Amino acid sequence: MTAMTISTAISTGRVTLVNVREQSLNTARWRVVWVLTLFAVIAITALGRIAWLGLSDHAAPSLTMAEALLPPRGEIVDRNGLPLARAFPAYALWFNPKALGEQGPPLVKTPREVADALVAIFPDLNLVKLTATLAAGKPAYLRRRILPEEANRIHLLGEPALEFPRENERFYPQGAMAAHVLGYVGSDGAGRVGMEQVFNSRLTDPALRGTPAMLSLDTRVQGALEDELSRGIADTHAIGAAGIVLDVDTGEVVALASLPSFNPNKIDEGGVANIFNRVTNQVYELGSTFKPLTVAAAIDAGVVTDLAKRYPAGAPLHIDGFTIHDHENYGASLNIPEALIHSSNVVLAQIGDQLGGVRLKQTMEALGFNARPFIELPAKGFPIWRSGVWARLTTMTVSFGHGIAVTPLHLASAYAALVNGGIWRPATLQKVEPGHAAVGRRVWKASTSARMRQLLRMIVVDGTGRHANAVGYRVGGKTGSAEKPGVGGYRKNSVVATFAAAFPMDHPRYVVVAMLDEPQATAASSGQRTAAWNAAPIVGRLVPRIGPLLGIMPDATRDIDISDLSPLVANGEGE
Amino acid sequence: MNLTRDRLRSIGWALTLSVCLALTLALTFRVNAVKSQVRLAERHIVAMKQDQMFLETEFETRASQQQLRNWNDVEFGYQAPAAGQYLESERQLASYGKPAGPGAPSPIRVARADAADEGVLTAMVSPLTGQAMAAEVPRGRTRKPTTAANLGERLARLPDAGPGAGSGAGPNAGSGAADVPAKPAKVHAAASKKPAAAEAKVASRQ
Repeated sequence: MTAMTISTAISTGRVTLVNVREQSLNTARWRVVWVLTLFAVIAITALGRIAWLGLSDHAAPSLTMAEALLPPRGEIVDRNGLPLARAFPAYALWFNPKALGEQGPPLVKTPREVADALVAIFPDLNLVKLTATLAAGKPAYLRRRILPEEANRIHLLGEPALEFPRENERFYPQGAMAAHVLGYVGSDGAGRVGMEQVFNSRLTDPALRGTPAMLSLDTRVQGALEDELSRGIADTHAIGAAGIVLDVDTGEVVALASLPSFNPNKIDEGGVANIFNRVTNQVYELGSTFKPLTVAAAIDAGVVTDLAKRYPAGAPLHIDGFTIHDHENYGASLNIPEALIHSSNVVLAQIGDQLGGVRLKQTMEALGFNARPFIELPAKGFPIWRSGVWARLTTMTVSFGHGIAVTPLHLASAYAALVNGGIWRPATLQKVEPGHAAVGRRVWKASTSARMRQLLRMIVVDGTGRHANAVGYRVGGKTGSAEKPGVGGYRKNSVVATFAAAFPMDHPRYVVVAMLDEPQATAASSGQRTAAWNAAPIVGRLVPRIGPLLGIMPDATRDIDISDLSPLVANGEGE
Repeated sequence: MNLTRDRLRSIGWALTLSVCLALTLALTFRVNAVKSQVRLAERHIVAMKQDQMFLETEFETRASQQQLRNWNDVEFGYQAPAAGQYLESERQLASYGKPAGPGAPSPIRVARADAADEGVLTAMVSPLTGQAMAAEVPRGRTRKPTTAANLGERLARLPDAGPGAGSGAGPNAGSGAADVPAKPAKVHAAASKKPAAAEAKVASRQ
């Protein structure tokens, strides 16, 4: 037992040794196995990956072509598909002071040297301000929207702190043109002011933003309108101008301009001051341009059945302590065509009086003068409107366009109804496919509209609208020069000169309204302040420019037949 | 023997199977290679389209309405054409033609090859609607193209279609007779397919 014990002890030592060896070998084997397994797993993984890359279709994640070409914000195009606003990946110039590490100066050269070099690339940058920004050592935008070649030149400066991240910017290729219609996109990516705001959800919707939003504007017409209006401002030193070209049958706005304008590519303080839209947001007493509306209402209601009927016009009218007078005395009496041609307040007040407040108010309501103008734009002004029963004096002043203030867009829509056969339609900035025009509502009979076309044409042929008579385009329209209300009554020296026109009068297609805010009497306007000398010539120059673009060919051999009315005008051709 | 045949068969099957597998694998690789080429091409297209968009935007910016107006003010001074510069129809255009005066040189004629669309005058079309605008075109319909044949018919109705029509005995009759007689044969030779109306017109000029 003892020997056994001893031998056991010895053998135990040997066994232990053997065991240790065995264990070491096992461990080594297992390690080899593990290493081999690891290599095998890596190899298999690599092979599997290669096979996957080779065999699978969707191994590499990639955008489809449609996804890659989908703009981050949809385009806005004009009626002919010309882009007016588009998403544009541009470079920005960003100053990152941490680019060279937390410690040490952010720039390699001195801020002054870097600023000098940057001013050499962008001459409009302010050297002092720029040096201060660079010296301050705070991250900041140095400039938005730089060109690739400018980025290359900055790169050559060798300043790691000047970075140019790519940013999605909204770009307006036409600059300030139609800015009030388009609006702009704020730094938060939301549209502001114009159709950018109206279409915001549509332009950012991934399902819809691939197709551009089409407006009813025609870029060429818009350009011509802005050009002629700015020329009118320059000629008369007016503080502003508004203009609109409207399709009479569909209500499409072909051009809409409010000057001075702003540049949606660069919104600054000066631009913000001009964002206010004079066409849709500012209400004016538009004066004599209301007279055809009153006459049409009177003819339609049967109050005026004989255009040759003469109304006393020799003396001012005294109503309720208020005096209604004309600019000049045009004779002891005037008939309707003469009253319109000479723009007589006295005669129109009498017609309005005969028509009565109820019917005049109904007409004005049917024209939408008691509500904000109908258009998509968010900026819409509320007219100065008399609710309740109209007093006799109110009726008389409204009949020649005072005591009521509407936007130029209201007036354009009303003139469209006046000449298109009597149907009022809401204005729209979206292109209307043929046959899909709004139904509208009838304001006047077609016969009244036909009569008014003759009368409007006569005003341009014989009356105050002579300077708008573009040869061959058969323009018809009415001038309006209203004094602006100020403290303690109307201000003699600040007027709003408007010309509301339509062409061609034998088959009206477009209404043009041009308005100048506070024009001055200058040599260019023959020393006059009234619409006949400043607003009417704008339309006279504009129509030959836009007519052919809109499919209206001038023809001096064609005109609306006014031979039945010509004998009624003392200085007309019928005399 | 049986065993060998079986083995051979199974080896054959295995071989076929592996060949098929190899082919499938190769084909799949090939398909994916082509697919990735397509993707590469698509990426290239996207890059090109974006380039195109950049260039288009640059062009539109440089040719914006305001820029064009500035150029026109400084360089060109173009004005909108006046009513007198527009033509209502070919008839009006033709009415501006004058018969050759006495002693006027005969018109120069140049030999040319007949093209398929030779002699076809396009109607005056509106740039907006693409429809013919001439007064004699019925509303809503397009006019058949004017060919040399029916042009002769149309112009023949004008009062003064040819110089020889009314003043055959004018002072230029002699010179015309000396010059023109050689022409008809030439015209016939050059355009033997010319319709009868054109021939009649050439004849009427003599």
